[in-house]
Amino acid sequence: MVLPSPRELTHLSQTEISEGLFGRPQVMSESAKNFLAAIVASSDDAIVSKDLNGIVTSWNEGACRIFGYQAEEMIGQSIRRLIPQHLQHEEDYILAKIRSGERVEHFETTRQRKSGELFPISVTISPIRDDAGKVIGASKIARDISERRRSDESRFRLAAIVDSADDAIIGKDLNGIITSWNQGAQRLFGYTEEEIIGQPILRLIPDNLRHEETEILRKLRAGEKLEHYETTRVGKDGQLHEVSITISPIRNSEGVVIGASKIARDISDRKKVEQMAIQAEKIATTGRMAAVIAHEINNPLASVLNLIYLARTGGLSPQEIQNNLAMAENELERVSHLARQTLGFYRDSGAPVEVHLSELMNNVLSVYRAKLLSHNIAVDAQYGDLRKIGVRPGEMIQVFSNLISNSIDAMPQGGKLTISINKDAGANREGLRVVIGDTGQGIPRDHLAKVFQPFFTTKGILGTGIGLWVARQIVERHGGQISVSSSTEPSDSGTAVTVCLPFSGSSSDRPKANGAGSGTEIQ
Amino acid sequence: MWETEFGDCGGRKSRVLVVDDERLLADTTAAILRNAGFEARTAYDGFGALETTVEFHPDFLLTDIMMPGMNGVELAMAMAERYPAIKIMLFSGQAGISDILEASRAKGFDFPLLAKPVPPAKLVEGLKSLRNG
Repeated sequence: MVLPSPRELTHLSQTEISEGLFGRPQVMSESAKNFLAAIVASSDDAIVSKDLNGIVTSWNEGACRIFGYQAEEMIGQSIRRLIPQHLQHEEDYILAKIRSGERVEHFETTRQRKSGELFPISVTISPIRDDAGKVIGASKIARDISERRRSDESRFRLAAIVDSADDAIIGKDLNGIITSWNQGAQRLFGYTEEEIIGQPILRLIPDNLRHEETEILRKLRAGEKLEHYETTRVGKDGQLHEVSITISPIRNSEGVVIGASKIARDISDRKKVEQMAIQAEKIATTGRMAAVIAHEINNPLASVLNLIYLARTGGLSPQEIQNNLAMAENELERVSHLARQTLGFYRDSGAPVEVHLSELMNNVLSVYRAKLLSHNIAVDAQYGDLRKIGVRPGEMIQVFSNLISNSIDAMPQGGKLTISINKDAGANREGLRVVIGDTGQGIPRDHLAKVFQPFFTTKGILGTGIGLWVARQIVERHGGQISVSSSTEPSDSGTAVTVCLPFSGSSSDRPKANGAGSGTEIQ
Repeated sequence: MWETEFGDCGGRKSRVLVVDDERLLADTTAAILRNAGFEARTAYDGFGALETTVEFHPDFLLTDIMMPGMNGVELAMAMAERYPAIKIMLFSGQAGISDILEASRAKGFDFPLLAKPVPPAKLVEGLKSLRNG
């Protein structure tokens, strides 16, 4: 038998209760009365009866707990004791309704405890009739709703925070179905809540990045969190957005992961600024190399001018003139060789080309040849793996140029520049490992952590502070890694930068965790 | 004082010391100056130039800036301090040397700077006008 709930009981006449409990009207055995009394006594709600003048006639344990008055304090007293002064008129209204045989249901109002504390309450009041059907009083069931109010309030406040956030905040279940969607998400992706809830989150993921979701769901099921994961997402209008996302598992009260919350921040602007900085550094690198190249080109040109001038005006023998012209020819060879190697460095086609890294390295070295000589720096280049690799040559030359230029700056008193290119057998991919090392004084430990950060420089006004940062951007865009190690031990100091490039280096379409891709020192 | 002893007035040829680590450039420049009536010697680095000066007593110093060891500006400052009468000209094929020149200006030196490549006729002309002026 399904018992009526205490709340339902009070809505029913005794006859109805009898019918409900026992299948027959007008039967209310002693045991049934005891049963009802037990329910009333054990109820968490206040269950109170009063006569038509509002005088309390019964008072249960729940009423004691909620209002703070004992039964003997209340029975025979007016119910108005519980009603704050400014709400006394409510009792007139309630009594009027009861007298006319009507019920007041789930009436939410404020009552006062014995302590004087006001609190929110939900009240249902039903008339009590005698056997003749005449209304003789009222039963009142009251529930303290302060807790509910509080949790409602905190829920509303949370909802307001979520909705006013600039970031997109999205809930999804473990199958990747969207379960909640805030205003920020609508602004970023263009879908309204109605359009997107119930849809797979894959809608927001560009086709070429769909594998990311598999990985994300795998991590979530394992209870792991993803923080500041930078990737690309697609909006309703098909536009791509660079976003940084943080995804946390949502657990139920038993601790079981039932879904995820995803916070996405649009970082397109930041990426644009970064791109501009990279562009600026390219120009700065070009400028630095141009200065070096100018020196290398102007010297032979000056010699050529002198040789020709002498041949024309010097009163030389035909043999001497021949010698001069031959020397001039040699010098022009030097210039054109340099021009072939350097001009067009920065003409970036965008598409990777299969090249020998050693050749790119030699080109860069030839640009710096005179500078290395004049700084008394010996070069030891060992190329152990001569396979071709797909890179954007202009960008890779910039990386090598930045690293070699740093090494030269690190050895003002001369030293040794060590360069090696070898096979890199990574965990899952094969590639080439380029190491550029110097015997300079090394980088102090507290600086080492910052060398890949933009605008970090120890070179005063001479450094732009983004050479290594740009190198890192370029290497990561090639799917590679760059790291630095350094020693400041006086007897054995120096710095080595290692660049690993995979043979299958695709461009930035692999998922990478925050800052992965780059060396140990990235915090 | 050797500066006056070797002045232009005695009909003696003006002496030019050409310093450049690019040997061909130093040698051809010296040859051109000899043809133009100067007495010219070469040195291929700063220390060599200081050594040569001791016995050659040049009236003019023409020096490249970017050289191994002592650079041209350091050489010029050393020469100007020890032999104030020497007329000094720097040349350079590189634009990125402003910081080196800045260092010399901070010490109160302001040397004329020629950009490589200098057409030989202009170099001769410039030296002659410096000598006569």
